[in-house]
Amino acid sequence: MPDFFSHIGRVFLRELKLIASDHSLTLTLLLAPLIYAFFYGSIYQYKVEEQVLLGVVDEDNTDLSRTFVEQVGNLQITKLVRAANMEDAQKSMYYGDTQGFLFLPKGMEKNLLGLKQADVVLVVNGARFLPSSELAMGITNIGMAVGAGVRLKYNQMQGNNNEIAMRETMPVNFDYRPVYNTRSSYGGFLLPGLLALILQQTLLIGLAESVALDRQRKHLGQVIGMAGNSLSTALWGKSLFYFILFCGYAAFFMTVNYRTLDIPFRGHPLDVSIAFVLFILTLIPMGFTLGTLFKGQLLTAQLMVFSTYPFFLLSGLAWPYDSLPRGMQLLSSLLPTTPFLKIYIAIVQSGAGLGDNMVSVVHLLLLWVFYVSLALWRLSFLRRKEAGLS
Amino acid sequence: MILAVYKIFIREWKRILTLPVHYVVLLVVPVIICTIYALIYNNKFAQDLPVAVWDESHSPLSRQFTFMLEETESIHFTRQVNSYAEIESLMKKGEILAAIHFPPGMDNDIKSRHPTTVTLYANAASLVTSKLIYKDAAQVIITAGSGVILQKFVKKGMPSGQAMSLVLPVNLHSWVLYNPRYDYQAYLVPGLIAVALQMMIIMVAILTLNYERNTGTMEELREQAGGSASVVIMGKSLAHLSVAWVNYLLVTCIMFPIFANGLLATNWPLFVMYTLLAIACIGVGMLVSSIFNDVMLACDIGLFYTSPAFVFSGFTFPRWGMPWFDQYYAQLMPFTPFLDSLFKVYFMKLPLLYCYKEMGHLLIFIVLTFPVAIIVFQRRLNKLAVQHA
Repeated sequence: MPDFFSHIGRVFLRELKLIASDHSLTLTLLLAPLIYAFFYGSIYQYKVEEQVLLGVVDEDNTDLSRTFVEQVGNLQITKLVRAANMEDAQKSMYYGDTQGFLFLPKGMEKNLLGLKQADVVLVVNGARFLPSSELAMGITNIGMAVGAGVRLKYNQMQGNNNEIAMRETMPVNFDYRPVYNTRSSYGGFLLPGLLALILQQTLLIGLAESVALDRQRKHLGQVIGMAGNSLSTALWGKSLFYFILFCGYAAFFMTVNYRTLDIPFRGHPLDVSIAFVLFILTLIPMGFTLGTLFKGQLLTAQLMVFSTYPFFLLSGLAWPYDSLPRGMQLLSSLLPTTPFLKIYIAIVQSGAGLGDNMVSVVHLLLLWVFYVSLALWRLSFLRRKEAGLS
Repeated sequence: MILAVYKIFIREWKRILTLPVHYVVLLVVPVIICTIYALIYNNKFAQDLPVAVWDESHSPLSRQFTFMLEETESIHFTRQVNSYAEIESLMKKGEILAAIHFPPGMDNDIKSRHPTTVTLYANAASLVTSKLIYKDAAQVIITAGSGVILQKFVKKGMPSGQAMSLVLPVNLHSWVLYNPRYDYQAYLVPGLIAVALQMMIIMVAILTLNYERNTGTMEELREQAGGSASVVIMGKSLAHLSVAWVNYLLVTCIMFPIFANGLLATNWPLFVMYTLLAIACIGVGMLVSSIFNDVMLACDIGLFYTSPAFVFSGFTFPRWGMPWFDQYYAQLMPFTPFLDSLFKVYFMKLPLLYCYKEMGHLLIFIVLTFPVAIIVFQRRLNKLAVQHA
């Protein structure tokens, strides 16, 4: 047993020296996680988008049309830009200066007062998802509110008292209650996952680069020798620093970044700590395995950078797992991100416990076993290869 | 000079086809990445999302509403629950994404002129699905509510036309242009592919000059170019631009016809903007490559510079929603103006006339990066010549 610890210690110290002497590893492991966490996080610090520019063509130009426009302008999502006519409004959208326009044709007030429908046209640029859907949602609600106001007036004119008139106005109401992200903000949705992704990618890139560097220098045999010829001691000795460092980052993100970015944390710290430990333990053999697939550090860095978006998109956070095609579901299931994000988001956002997502915990543990086996197999294969070459 | 540029061009193509740090990134990765992106969103819409129903009304009307909701694209009732606590528990387990509540006595309330409220609880921690469910549920409940009002007015003897004008006094015609069904594949995949292509171009261009030292071919390069940095940079840039065009053809002539039922090769404005993006990215890469001898450092700079391009460009979260310093930083990446033009020339099918700002922005990158790269690299070549002399 003392031998085991001394071997682990030797490999651990060797890894420390390697990281300190290689500026790429130093940058990726010691600087990038912190810079990225603040840098990316700052994008979403306001969480919701506001003041989307919307053109307005008010051909009616009456008290009622002006009130309607004022209501639209009061929405948090909109910032109105007056346009002289439809052509101007359209051009403005084409140049990207506005994200759509609202057209109130002549006769709006006259129609409404004469108990006729008044047409209002809203054109939004659907090429931009988020602003267009938010605009459409907000203005539809105003249209509904104005409609309710007209009915209320009508009911009052029919001799109903205020209470009855009010009841008759909206017999069926629709109440939308977004839970766990009550403002339905993009930042509130994305930030927790983004921080986990930064942690994952810097760990994978750094560790894979380090393993590829050892392979490039043909030092893997030396590492295994320092580990007393034990593959698992070599694996965990080399990975110990990463484990300690990234557990530290996880704690830092969950406290400092969560506080500075005002991300609510509803779960229990112990649950999220266990989830992170399991996640990092699974990522380590995965990163190790990926590193053994490349012959050089440069190619590893170049290729690993392309894994970030696919890993994120496959994780089930941005796009539901069940909506992925079968083949992609299989690929998604092989990524530790998939079960981890399910557990982690449930804990931090909805206050769930580990027990609520036991299937995902087991999934993560199975992936740990899978990647440890894969890493040990690759290590053994490369040792034989290096020995053969020497 | 043209002959010398041509020689460097051919030489660079040979390097691209033989060096793994070039061909893997430029020729293998695009195929894999484009296929993965296209496949992830191959279903285009998130359908049949798990939703619970909490029906305390147990009435024909609540059953009718449930049936109408089930008919929508996004909602699929998988559970019946009896309390809010049950909804919360199922959301925490990820078994449902939303729940609809019909209050007790809903039918009677409507008949006895008491307003009733149908509630949708949606797990907004999963924003995409909650918005889809909200959109469908709101449409059904509001339409059904309008039906109730219409019936009441008609029963009172009002002509249906007049009744309709009271149900919907403001008839809002919403036109969602360019992607009316909010098709995720049509929206996200072109942007994701474009950002991957700009990353590939930059991540290889940053190695075009300094990697010559690693392969021990710097002197040979100097001789072939007659000691001229502009010949080297021009020849290499043309080679990398031609690779960028190969990838453009791969995306527009193979990937799009397969996954998006459309051939994009004839979209000339898109081709022009993509070419400007490619040249700007090559310029940035050449600049870094000429300044930094250390290829790993250059690669780290490339990694740090290119990887945030997608989120900073405003593709998923608009730039005007970001703090001012992030908005400025976004302007330092060629992908940002390209993305703005992508909306215009690809989604909106507008002519190049509408992209003059974006073209100007990309030209600034080109005008600034290439001359500086040439000056810096010329000094390096001169030093090399002195050493050899």
